[in-house]
Amino acid sequence: MSLRRMRYLLLLLIATGMLILYGCGDEDPAPTSSSGFAGLGEDADGFEHARPNQPLTFPEDFPQEHAAHPDYRIEWWYLTANLKDAAGDPLGLQWTLFRQALMPPSERPAPTPWAADQLWMAHMAISQGEQHEVAERFGRSHSQSQLSNAQNSQAGVVASPFHAWLDDWQLKANEEAASTDFNHLTLTAYSGEGESRFGYRLELTAEGPLVLHGAEGFSQKAANGQGSMYYSQPFWRINGDVTLNGETKTVSGRGWLDREWSSQLLDARQSGWDWFSIHFDDGQKLMAFQLRGGGDGSGGDADQEQGTDYRSGTWITPQGDATPLATDEIILTPLATSAVAGRDVPTQWRLEIPSVAIDINIAAPYANRWMTTSVPYWEGEVVVNDRASGESLGEGYLEMTGY
Amino acid sequence: MTRVLATLLSHYRRHPGQLIMLLLGLWVASALWSGIQAINATARDSYDRADAMFDTQLDQLERRDGTPFSRTEYHSLRQAGLPVSPMLEGEVVTQDGTRLTLIGIDPLTLSSDNALAQVNTSTSLSDFLSPPWQTRVAPDALAALGIEREKASGATPTLKDGKTLPPLVLAPALPPDTLIMDIAAAARLLESGDEITRIVAAPGALSETPTGLTLTRATTLASPGQLTESFHLNLTALGLLAWVVGLFIVQAALGLALEQRLGMLRTLRVLGVSGRRLVIALSLELILLGLIGALAGIASGVWLARLLLPDVAATLGSLYGAGVGQELNLPWHYWVGGLAVSLSGLLLAGSGVLWRAARLNMLELGQMQAWRSGYRRQLTLMGIGGAIALSIALALYAWLRFQPPGDGLVAGFGLIAALLLASALWLPPFLALVLRTLTHLVRRRPLIHWAMADMQLQLPRLSLAMMALLIALATNLGVGSMVGGFRLTFLDWLDQRLVAPLYLNAPTEQYADIDVWLADRPEVFERLLTRRSDATLQAATTPEGSRALGTPIELYGITPGKSLTPHWPLLATQQDRASAWAAFGDGAIFVNEQLATAENLAPGNRLTLSAPGANETLTIAAIYPDYGNPSGQVLVASPQLAARFNAPPSSMGLVLNDDANVDALRAALRERFVLGSDALSDQAGIKRIATEIFERTFTITRALNVLTLAVAALALFASLLAQARSRRQQLAPLWALGVPRTQLAQLNLAQLGGAALVTGLLAVPLGIVITWGLVAIINVAAFGWRLPLYLFPWEMAVTLATAVGVALLAAALPTLRFWRASPRALLAEEANQ
Amino acid sequence: MLELHQVHKTYATPQGPLKVLENVSLRLAAGQSLGLMGESGSGKSTLLHLAAGLDLPDQGVITLEGQNVASLPEPTRAKLRREQLGLVFQQFHLVPSLTVIDNLRLQARLASRDDADWSGYLIKRLGLTGMEKRYPEQLSGGQQQRLAIGRALAPRPPLLLADEPTGNLDETTAGEVLDLLLSLVRETHCALLIVTHSLQVAAPLDRCLRLRHGRLLDATP
Repeated sequence: MSLRRMRYLLLLLIATGMLILYGCGDEDPAPTSSSGFAGLGEDADGFEHARPNQPLTFPEDFPQEHAAHPDYRIEWWYLTANLKDAAGDPLGLQWTLFRQALMPPSERPAPTPWAADQLWMAHMAISQGEQHEVAERFGRSHSQSQLSNAQNSQAGVVASPFHAWLDDWQLKANEEAASTDFNHLTLTAYSGEGESRFGYRLELTAEGPLVLHGAEGFSQKAANGQGSMYYSQPFWRINGDVTLNGETKTVSGRGWLDREWSSQLLDARQSGWDWFSIHFDDGQKLMAFQLRGGGDGSGGDADQEQGTDYRSGTWITPQGDATPLATDEIILTPLATSAVAGRDVPTQWRLEIPSVAIDINIAAPYANRWMTTSVPYWEGEVVVNDRASGESLGEGYLEMTGY
Repeated sequence: MTRVLATLLSHYRRHPGQLIMLLLGLWVASALWSGIQAINATARDSYDRADAMFDTQLDQLERRDGTPFSRTEYHSLRQAGLPVSPMLEGEVVTQDGTRLTLIGIDPLTLSSDNALAQVNTSTSLSDFLSPPWQTRVAPDALAALGIEREKASGATPTLKDGKTLPPLVLAPALPPDTLIMDIAAAARLLESGDEITRIVAAPGALSETPTGLTLTRATTLASPGQLTESFHLNLTALGLLAWVVGLFIVQAALGLALEQRLGMLRTLRVLGVSGRRLVIALSLELILLGLIGALAGIASGVWLARLLLPDVAATLGSLYGAGVGQELNLPWHYWVGGLAVSLSGLLLAGSGVLWRAARLNMLELGQMQAWRSGYRRQLTLMGIGGAIALSIALALYAWLRFQPPGDGLVAGFGLIAALLLASALWLPPFLALVLRTLTHLVRRRPLIHWAMADMQLQLPRLSLAMMALLIALATNLGVGSMVGGFRLTFLDWLDQRLVAPLYLNAPTEQYADIDVWLADRPEVFERLLTRRSDATLQAATTPEGSRALGTPIELYGITPGKSLTPHWPLLATQQDRASAWAAFGDGAIFVNEQLATAENLAPGNRLTLSAPGANETLTIAAIYPDYGNPSGQVLVASPQLAARFNAPPSSMGLVLNDDANVDALRAALRERFVLGSDALSDQAGIKRIATEIFERTFTITRALNVLTLAVAALALFASLLAQARSRRQQLAPLWALGVPRTQLAQLNLAQLGGAALVTGLLAVPLGIVITWGLVAIINVAAFGWRLPLYLFPWEMAVTLATAVGVALLAAALPTLRFWRASPRALLAEEANQ
Repeated sequence: MLELHQVHKTYATPQGPLKVLENVSLRLAAGQSLGLMGESGSGKSTLLHLAAGLDLPDQGVITLEGQNVASLPEPTRAKLRREQLGLVFQQFHLVPSLTVIDNLRLQARLASRDDADWSGYLIKRLGLTGMEKRYPEQLSGGQQQRLAIGRALAPRPPLLLADEPTGNLDETTAGEVLDLLLSLVRETHCALLIVTHSLQVAAPLDRCLRLRHGRLLDATP
C-alpha cells in the first residue's frame, strides 16, 4: 500500500485501455474483397477525387504537389532502393509514409489540441540476404496545424522546403539546397535499441526529372475510370549508412520514389495488386502494375462480379521521357509461388511488353520479404533477366498486396 | 425400473416436506461452495487482469522540476526518436456527484507492434479517434452515470458541469470508475489545452534518461500479486472447507431420505425387487435430485457471490489497487466444474446410503442385535481412520520441515485436511467414550442417566452432523483468527512503513537541499530519508561456513530515528531490540523474513553484498517481517547506504511536532523547491483508507463464516429430523412411565446442547491448529513469509456460544413437535410400531 | 382405587368424529384384578390410557387413589403415574439405551423408590439372573415382557395396568408370562386392570368386563 503503488494505478488504467482497444480491433473482421485491399476500394463521398481532367503540370504545380493533399482520402510517399554495401553485397530498403484522412473535409473536428483528421503510418524495411527487418510507426495530425514548425505536429509533409516526417522518421530537403529543391534529400529512420537496432541515414540525389504516370499524372486503376494522381522520381542516386544488427555499413545504389494520392484507388471488386519498378542496367526504367479484378468486364456476368485484371505501366527512357502502357500492352504471368507467412505468393514472374520489345523474367532472390505490419503485404527486391538468353538486365522492387 | 423409481419417489408425494428438506440440503451445500468459488473465480480473474496490467506497465518520464509537459515538447521528444506517449488524467463529476477518473490516451503511440494493426483495418479505432469519439467504460461505472446497462451503448451522459461525454462503449475489463477516451476528447472535457499530465513509455523502451528529465522505471513497482494471492489462498481454503461441510450436509440429507423409506425399501425387496435394481433406482433418484439441487445451488451461489461481491470488490480493489468488477465474470468451465463437484460430492456422500440400501435386511429380524456391535465396529474403524489421518498429518509436517520455504503448498493443504479429517473421525469415538464414562458416573440420577444412555443411542445418527459442526466451527475459528491476525499484522506493517504523517517524493538531486532546509524548520521533528538500490547477495557466512550465492536483492535505507525504531517490528535479533538498533546505526544490516527464510540466515551471520562500485561484508543484526514483498530485502541505515553503496534517495518521511501547521509547511516546501502537486502526500489518509478496507474484509469473512455455520446447523437439523420419529418412540414410554413432557423436552435440548458444547470445546484447539497451519505452514509454503499467530479469546467464546445456539436451534423444532404432540399421537405411534 | 364414572371419549378422524367410549363407568378396588375384553377397536386400549392419565376424557370423572385425574396438571399426573401406576404394554417399550437392570429399576428410580433387594428379588423371580448387563434387544420376546413387568412392579405401585401384555408372544411364552404376572400381582397385593381379547388371559381374574363399540356390556360396577 505504498503511495507509489496508488500512483501507478493510473498507468494500469492506461494499459487496460489499450487492451480494450486491441480487443475491439479483433472484433472487426479483416477487410473483405468487396471493399478492396485495406479498404482502398471503399466509397469515398465527401472527398476530392482524382480525375483525368486535372492534369499535373510542370513546373507550375511543383513543389506544392509534394505536400499532403488532406482533402483526398489516401496518399503516400514511397521510396524503394536497390543498394550494395562496401563488400558488394546487395541490400534492399523501403521507407513509406502513408496518410489517411479520418473523415471528409466537411466533417473535420475543430483544430483543438490533439484533435486529428489525419492518420499517419510509416513503414521501414531493410533486407539483406535472408534477413528482413521491418518497423512501423503511427501518428496523428490535424490538417489545419501550423506545419511551419514541425513541433506543432507529430506527422506531416510540407513542400517547401520539402519535409516529410513522422516522429524522427524523416525525409527532408538538404539544408543548403534551395527551398523549392526536390533533388537533394536526406532520409533518416531508425528503430530498436542496441543489438537489434536498424535503420539508415541516406543522401538522395536525383539524376533525372520527375515522371508523370498515366494521362499527365492521372493513373487509371480500373476499367470504370477509377484512379489516382501518380508521379515518380525514379532516378535517385543514393549514398549513405545503413545500420543492421547494430552494425553500420556504407551503402550506395539506386532508388525510386512514388507519390500517389487518391480517394478511391481501387474498384470495389479489386482484391489487390502486383506492382513492379525496374531499373534496367542500360538506364531505362519501367513501372508496371496489375490490379487483380476490376478490369474491363468483357466476359459474362461472372466476370462482372469478379472483374478481370487491370494492368497499366510506364516506360521511361534514361532521359525521363515517359510512355504510358495500356492494359492490353502488358502481359504478366506468374511462374512460381513461394509459401510466405502462410500464403502462396508469386515470386517469379514473366513480363511481356511487345510494344517496347520486352520479355523478361522477374524473380525475387529471397521470398521472405513479408511486411509484418498492421496491413501485411509483400515488398522486396527483385532481379531481372532476359527470358530468352537469361542475361541479367537489371534490378528493381516488387510489391504484392491482397494475398 | 421406472416403476421402482416411481414408487420410491411417490414417498415424497405423501411427504413433500422431506423432499424440500433434501433439496434444501443439496441446494445450500452447493450454493455455499459455488458462491465462494464464484467470488474466488471473479476475484482471480480480476487479479490476473491486474497482474497482466502490471506486466504491461509503463515507464514514466517527469521533468525534474515537476512542471507539466506541453504538446510541442512531446512532439520534440518523439522527433528526437523517443518512443513516448502522452497521457491526460483528470476527474469528472457525474450528476449524482460521483467523481470518475478520466484518462485520455493516444492509442497510436501508446501501443506497441500489433496494437497498431488496427489503424487501417479497424473502423473502431477510427471511431475512437474521431468525433464524436468514444468513452470506454466498465459496466460498474454506469450506475454513477445514471444509465441502465441495456441503454448504455452509445449513450452520451451529461456531467455535472453540463458537458456531455462521448458515446459510451462498454469495456468490462476496465477498472471501475474509470473513463478512457482519446486524448483529444479528454482535452476538451478537461479543458487542459496543450498540457500533458504525464509522458509514458513501454517498459525498457528508453535506453537512457533524456537530459533534464527523470525516468521512473516500471520495473521498480512492486506487484500486488503476493498479498492478493495470500488473501486468495485463504478464500480457497474457506471454499474447500465449506465444501467438506457441504458433503456432510448432503450425507445427512440423504440419510434422512433413506431413513424414512426403510419400510418401503424393505417391502420392495420382499416384493421381489432385487437389491441391485433398488440400488440403481436409488442412484437414479440421487442423480436426479442432485442435478436439481446442484443447479439451483450453483445459480444461487452466483447470487450469493453477487450479494457479497460489492464488498469483496471494494476490499480488494482499494487494497491492491486492482479493480474487481462487480459484474460476475464466470467462464463456462466454472459451471461444469461446479456441477461436477456437487454431483461427485453427492455420490460420495450417497455411496454410504446406497451401501446400506444394498445390504438392507428384508426382515428386520436381528437388526437390533447387530446394530450395537456394528456401531462399536464403526467407532473402532473411525478411531483407526483418525489415527491414520493423524499419522499422515504428522508425516506431512515432518516432511514439510525439511522442505525449502516456498515449496509444499499442496502438502500444507494436505496437512490441514488430514488434521481436520483426523479430528472429525475421532469425534464420535471420543463422544462415545465421554458418554459411557458419564453414564457410569450418574447412575444414581435416573433421568440424567437415561439422557446419557440415550445420547449414546443417538450418536450413530448424530455423529455425521456433529462432525460437520466440528469442522465448521474449527474452520470458523481458524479463518477468523487468520483474517484477524492478517488485519493486525497489516496494521502493524502500516505503522512500520508509514511512520511519518507527511511523505515527500522529490526529484533525486533535490533531497540534499531539502534536507538542509528542513533541518532549520522548527516544526519538523524528524526527517526520515529512505534510499533504494539494487544489489547482489554474493555470499553468506554462517557458523557452518561460507556459501556463495549470487541472489539479486533490494537494498533499502531507512533512518533509524526515534519515531521509527519503536514501530519497526523485528522477528529475531542477536540480543535485544535496543542492541539490534544500535548495531544497525553502526552499519549492521537487517534482512527481511523472505530473504532469511530463503537463504536460511540468522542474526549474527555475515552477508557479502555487491553493488556497482561497492563490495561490502556486513553483519545481520535482526530479521524483520516484510509482508507482501516478493523479493529479498536488506535494510541498511540510510547514511550507511549512501556512503557504502552510493544509493540515491527515494523518499523522505517528515515527522512533525504536534502543533505543526502541515499546510503551511507543504506550501513553503512546494514554493521553495518548485515541487509538483503530488510530491507531498498525506500518509495518515492512506492509513485510514487501508484500515477501513480491512474492516470490510472482516465483514466478508463474517458473512461467509455465518453461512458455513448455517450449513452445519442445517446438517444437524436434517439429522435430528431424520430421527425425530424414532426419538418420539423412545420418549413416549418414558412419558408413560411418568416423566413430564416439559422435562423430557428440556432433557432433549440439554442433550444436544451438551454435545454441541463438547464439540465446540474440541473445535477451539482444532481451530487454533488450523490457524497455525494457515499462517505458519500454508502462508510460508506459498510465499515464504509467516503471518504472526494471533488468538482472539472473545471470538472463541462467541463461536462456542454459537455452536450451542446452533445445536439448540436445530433441536428446537423436533423438540417442539414432541412437546406439542397430542398424547394420542404419541400413543398411536407407540401402538403402530 | 380406580373409578370411572360416566366416561365419554370421542376422537376426531378424517371420516368425522369417532365415538370410542360412551358412558363407561367402572370401579376397581385395591388388590382386585379386572379383565377388560373386547374386539379390536372396541375402545379397551383407550379406556386403559384414560385410566393411566395418558389421555383425558371428554366427559365423566376418573378417580385414581381418590384424585380426579382430569383436574390434575400434567406434572402431577406424571407424578401420579410414576408413583401409583405400573404400565405394561403389548410392545414391551423397554428403553433400548439402558441395560436390563437399569431398565428394571428405571421407574423405581424415577419415583425415588429404588430398592436394591426388591429389584434383585424381581430379577430372580423374572428369571433374568445373569442377564443384568445385557441390553433389551439381546433378550427374547418373553424375557423382554418379563422385564417390562418387573419395571412396572419395581416401585411397588398399588395399581398395574396392562395392555395386551401377551399379545406379542407365542402361546407357551404367553402362558408363562401371564402366570408370572398374576403371581407377582398377588404377591405385591397390587390391583390389576388388564386389557385383553383372550379368554385364557381373562379366566384367572377376579372380574371381567366386556366392551363393544365403546359401551360396557355387563354393567356390573
